[in-house]
Amino acid sequence: MQVIENLKVKEKLYIEKLENGLTVMIIPKKDIQKKYVIWGTKYGSNESTFIVPGETESIEVPKGVAHFLEHKMFEQENGRNSLDTLTSLGVNANAYTTNDHTAYLFEGIDNFYPALDELMDYVQHPYFTDENVEKEKGIIGQEIMMYDDYPEWRVYLNALEAMYHEHPVKLDITGTIETISHIDKEVLYKCYNTFYNPSNMVMVVCGDFDPENLLEEIKKRLIKKEANGEIKRIYPEEPEDIVKEKIEQQMQVTMPLYTIGIKVPPMEETEKVKTHLGVQILLDLLFGKSSELYKKLYNEGIIYGIPGGDFEFSNGYAHVLLTGQANDPEKVYEEFKKKVSEFIEKGINKEDFERIKKSIYGSYVKEYDDVADIARMFLSDKIKGINSFDYLEEIDTINVEYVEQLLKNIFKQEKMVISIVRN
Amino acid sequence: MQDTKTQIKKGITLHTIKTNKFKTNLVAMFLTTNLTQENATKNALISLLLRRGTKNIPTQDELSKKLEEMYGASFDCGLDKIGNNQVFKFYIETINDEFIPQSNEEMWKTSLKLMLEIVLNPYEENKAFKKEYFEQEKNTLTQLIEGRKDNKAQYALNRCIEEMYKDEPFGIYKYGKVEDIEKINNNELYDYYNQLVQNCKIDIYVSGNIPEEEQIKELINKDENAKKLNERESKYNPIKIEEKKKTENNENIVEEAMEVTQGKLVLGLNVNIKDEEEKYKVIVYNAILGGSANSKMFQNVREKAHLAYVASSSYMRHKNTIFINSGIEIANYEKALKIIREQIKEMEDGKFTEEDLKEAKKVITEGIKTIYDEQDTQITYYFGQEVANQKEISVEEYMKKIEEVTREEVIQIAKSIKIDTIYFLKNN
Repeated sequence: MQVIENLKVKEKLYIEKLENGLTVMIIPKKDIQKKYVIWGTKYGSNESTFIVPGETESIEVPKGVAHFLEHKMFEQENGRNSLDTLTSLGVNANAYTTNDHTAYLFEGIDNFYPALDELMDYVQHPYFTDENVEKEKGIIGQEIMMYDDYPEWRVYLNALEAMYHEHPVKLDITGTIETISHIDKEVLYKCYNTFYNPSNMVMVVCGDFDPENLLEEIKKRLIKKEANGEIKRIYPEEPEDIVKEKIEQQMQVTMPLYTIGIKVPPMEETEKVKTHLGVQILLDLLFGKSSELYKKLYNEGIIYGIPGGDFEFSNGYAHVLLTGQANDPEKVYEEFKKKVSEFIEKGINKEDFERIKKSIYGSYVKEYDDVADIARMFLSDKIKGINSFDYLEEIDTINVEYVEQLLKNIFKQEKMVISIVRN
Repeated sequence: MQDTKTQIKKGITLHTIKTNKFKTNLVAMFLTTNLTQENATKNALISLLLRRGTKNIPTQDELSKKLEEMYGASFDCGLDKIGNNQVFKFYIETINDEFIPQSNEEMWKTSLKLMLEIVLNPYEENKAFKKEYFEQEKNTLTQLIEGRKDNKAQYALNRCIEEMYKDEPFGIYKYGKVEDIEKINNNELYDYYNQLVQNCKIDIYVSGNIPEEEQIKELINKDENAKKLNERESKYNPIKIEEKKKTENNENIVEEAMEVTQGKLVLGLNVNIKDEEEKYKVIVYNAILGGSANSKMFQNVREKAHLAYVASSSYMRHKNTIFINSGIEIANYEKALKIIREQIKEMEDGKFTEEDLKEAKKVITEGIKTIYDEQDTQITYYFGQEVANQKEISVEEYMKKIEEVTREEVIQIAKSIKIDTIYFLKNN
């Protein structure tokens, strides 16, 4: 296996691409009892139009298939549910779907190998019937309704709707009750066979392991499958401009929720990590705990906590998000825009910059304690073509001039939107 | 990795947990006091005021800058309700010295000194909290209390607790009441704060790559802020088994309407046991009923009847109560309730297998073992024993006690369990 060591956090990554195309990544953690394994496929809610390797015509499937598949994978031909089997083994099993990947995982202390048997068995053996597909529609329907009651989720999705004309990132990962009604077992098998090929998958394990031994154990449990060719993913053409600057929804909330979004053009492969770090630094400088803007708005009684900042990106999209609660979200938005202009005009204070950089460095170091955090981070970064260690290294290369340039290129007024949920 | 205890002064305990497993050091300080209607709101306001600034670090942005300078140390504070106590919890987490580039700073010292400064040396003017902060934080608290309606699932659970413990301290919302905020006078509050820190139970936890306990103790003993603390007969309510009020099948059914798409159904169950030791049996009972994906709730409400995505139960150990939670379609209320009742009845009738029992124990023991891997969970575990005034129970002993629970004991617990309150949040 190839070994990549990071001296800053004193951790090692063992990585290998197997013959069938599966990428295996192992991060050993000595003396930690918990073990965590996560097996992901580069297939999320954004992939609804694609060309199956070997075919020429593209196909379009209903929105919500990736998430539906995730639910259905646990069901086994012998009538057992793998989630129950894993729970019986005393491990904590779960699965989730994002915009760009689906992942199956468990965490536990004992019974790692029996549980790995089960995990690798169920992910490699789908079993869909007309009956079990119908049944799941009821459960997923409740899940969709549960999210409908979360104002945090609504304000987020609405912000994406204001930014994107076509890109499926703006749609609910679960699909809607209407779209999932069109899902049947044929669609599920089609998507499974396309995207659950080892060459489209990554497995990450974190815990107290000998990497070479573990790799052998993983190989033993793989069924024979040839790597398939490239899956052509088709995303609709997305214009660079936003759809509308403001979007509002009425819900019963005590204080309005807001999300400020900034649409960012897709980045070069090599620029992702550095841009991400730069944006994080900028968000802290502009509207973090020690910022002038936060102090001002807090003292005026407009906000009661700092907004959460985020930079999300994957195939064909990238955006900055700031989410919080405020008595007057429009005012927050105006003040934020003013602050951006002021920073562009006056430049960034060197001392503040260095302090924030230190703080962000520390936040990345903290990511290396929990086996679950580590494995999930390595998986989601890998799906985006990133090695997580790069964040710890590239932060050193960032200087004031770089973030000033980034501020001008990314924080553009005409790319900003505001989404509000209020009574 | 043990909790080594040492007394700083009577009523003030230092706990050190030495470990090299983590990238971080964690300092925690807990102030435990009686939970009363009269003081709940005051305590909440104090907890908000303390994070605003201290005599030496007078503003929040200076405090934030200080934390950023410490490689992004995080400071958290909150209030918790443990049994009939209100607990102020403060945490400072930093990366440990090994991962700090070119520095010989001893991070645990910086954190601990900062902690004592924040908790014990607030920004005071004329024997009151700084007026500007006092006014602002009253607003923040109002928002915080009113905002509890926003998370519907959490709200439903809190409401069920309130209904179930109507005339008891535990029924008090941890942040108090909006009506009480305006009655608070700044000078009185400051007086009250000073009495509080002199009378409450104080526990300080220092965990991570740290020196010997003696060295930490010495730092505290010499610290200007800590020196102000007197010895005390801590005023708090050690957790004990309470006599449950007799419900005699008088279920209290509460329905409330709000703008929701999904209904939230919460059931509060009374557990009748005689002593601390019996709690292990209840833990096993709860795991079978609704503690995992193999549980009766998950299997029957979600997997078989497809009525819910969330269907679970949890045991509030300090209050000896079980809460059942589920999110359902509003029209399915009767159906869901019927299935839930059947599950409770089946437990009484012993309708669970040896396999169910074994699996439930496995889920519990696996869960408890993880405390070795998480600094904050470890502190919470030890502190739970501390407020119960218990002798320390190691993880191994805990697991052994779980293993020893028999099928008959679970059935016997099941027979002592009665539904007290049924709370349903539906739409308008």
